[in-house]
Amino acid sequence: MALLLCAAAGSAVAQGGGYAERFASVCAACHGAQGVSTQALTPTLAGQPSFYAITQLFLFRDGRRDNAVMSAVAKGMSDDDLRGFSEAIAALPAPPPPAAPADPQRFVRGAALAQRLHCTACHGADLAGGKQVPRLAGQREDYLLHALQGFRAATRVGYGPAMTEALAGTTPQQLEDLAHHLAHAGAAGARP
Amino acid sequence: MKTTFPLRRPGSVLARMALSALLLGALGAHAQQAAEEPFWAKGRPKGAATANMAPVPAFPIPTEADKLPVAKLKLPPGFKAEVWASGILDARGLRQGDKGTVFVSSLFVAGKIYAVTDKGGKREVKTIAEKLFLPNGIEFHKGSLYVATPKDITRYDNIEASLDSPPKPVMVYDKLPGEVPHGWKFIKLGPDGKLYVPIGAPCNICDPSADFAKIVKMNLDGSGVETVAVGVRNTVGFDFDPKDGSLWFTNNGRDWLSEDLPNDSLNHVTQPGKQHFGFPYCHQGDFADPEFGWGKNCNDYAKPALLTGPHAGTLGMRFYTGKMFPSQYQGAIFIARHGPWNRSQKYAADIVVAWPDGKGGIAKMEPFLTGLVENNEYLGRPVDVLVMKDGSLLVSDDHNGAIYRISYAK
Repeated sequence: MALLLCAAAGSAVAQGGGYAERFASVCAACHGAQGVSTQALTPTLAGQPSFYAITQLFLFRDGRRDNAVMSAVAKGMSDDDLRGFSEAIAALPAPPPPAAPADPQRFVRGAALAQRLHCTACHGADLAGGKQVPRLAGQREDYLLHALQGFRAATRVGYGPAMTEALAGTTPQQLEDLAHHLAHAGAAGARP
Repeated sequence: MKTTFPLRRPGSVLARMALSALLLGALGAHAQQAAEEPFWAKGRPKGAATANMAPVPAFPIPTEADKLPVAKLKLPPGFKAEVWASGILDARGLRQGDKGTVFVSSLFVAGKIYAVTDKGGKREVKTIAEKLFLPNGIEFHKGSLYVATPKDITRYDNIEASLDSPPKPVMVYDKLPGEVPHGWKFIKLGPDGKLYVPIGAPCNICDPSADFAKIVKMNLDGSGVETVAVGVRNTVGFDFDPKDGSLWFTNNGRDWLSEDLPNDSLNHVTQPGKQHFGFPYCHQGDFADPEFGWGKNCNDYAKPALLTGPHAGTLGMRFYTGKMFPSQYQGAIFIARHGPWNRSQKYAADIVVAWPDGKGGIAKMEPFLTGLVENNEYLGRPVDVLVMKDGSLLVSDDHNGAIYRISYAK
């Protein structure tokens, strides 16, 4: 639903100007001012590494990541646009921790899963990501769950099946705990 | 593993979490059982220096022709580097067809096979296959392009006559294991008319079954598979000696042992089907693996002909058989080194040249094309080399999506 509400943004891609301003006009309506999303199922982009951001824009443009709105937006983007928007995203300050406190039991269950699944092996001990790997710290919990479900079902594939393999054997309940943990564990990584 | 807690709310969360941590033991056994790490991360030492080391994919946008680092390339006197083709996302393997078409393979970033043709001094790039699974291995023979993925080998017949409407591929061999780790291929036709195909170890370091860590050869219809060499961790480059037809191959050494050990290597198959090149027991001919090497003697395995540097990413290689370069390069081997991802100090990302000593080994190795490492970052990363019919040398660079041409003039 939220995705459809935001569909109007795509037409603004062709404007000129600096990419920070173009981010404000093209991306912020859905992804939030300063890239901190308040829209359900729409990711916070603040603090994402530029390599991750450009890789996702590339996959949307290439039709290899499935999201009608983002594919429509990315199809209108040039190579320079991909570079400019991804650098503008990376320049945004890292997002604040979530406002609501974690549920201790879910957090601990999710922490055990995160350890078992080796999340930090790629996403970093502080879950801040790096290069082609996304920041999880400060990400919206509902988007994290949506992404985990997509990887688990292999409906979302990046360059390869790494995330699908990492999540093999997890249950829907476990993915909810994991998303809850990641959303809040990231709070510790966000410096005041 | 470091665990951090939200320090801002110690009263509300931290105390409760400490309590909840006691409940961890009550979780089901399945939650305690360790899942697999990503294959490349296995064996990675703990600590900050290695925490951010991971393979980095090619940048998803090719570098524009006028921004390529061609002015940075350093070559011996008399040699010249120029941009031969650009805008080829993830450009990796290089082969030339009978009519001059240069075929270019790619890996997971592009998943494509390209054909580059020369139109009056300008290069035209066409995508002839796409949405392929790690299609790194290509070979051209008698009008057909062979494409190897980790799963299978297919053939595009009469390809140079049909670049605009490529034929449906014919299945040649569909029994490759399909594993992703070290599953992508480099393939080449041998002087015996057989197709040589490596099957890498499905891991950084492990004692794999006999289905892995070897080079095999097969008839062009996929029949008659024979083992050529075993104990080969991961070769992504080989060629046949123009003097005697013997196989030489590059090999990528294991990861994470240390910054400086073990080396990648160049190896010479002098007894096809009979030699074991050491993996996983012995690395670089003289270093027993700390885990798998106990009870093994490195002298029981074939020694490398040349060490090519720790974690160097030693990939494509070709004997020089052209007429353009000075005579000293005749029969020398040009070798592409991609540059390490799992080493603090970046180096290589170059082309080296090695001279066989005429006795089965290598006399010396020298840098040939350098200049792509600056401030501990790569400006480009060579993958494969190709001796063109005119004697010039093409070099692919997957991180810039480009191909350079090296020529010589007195």
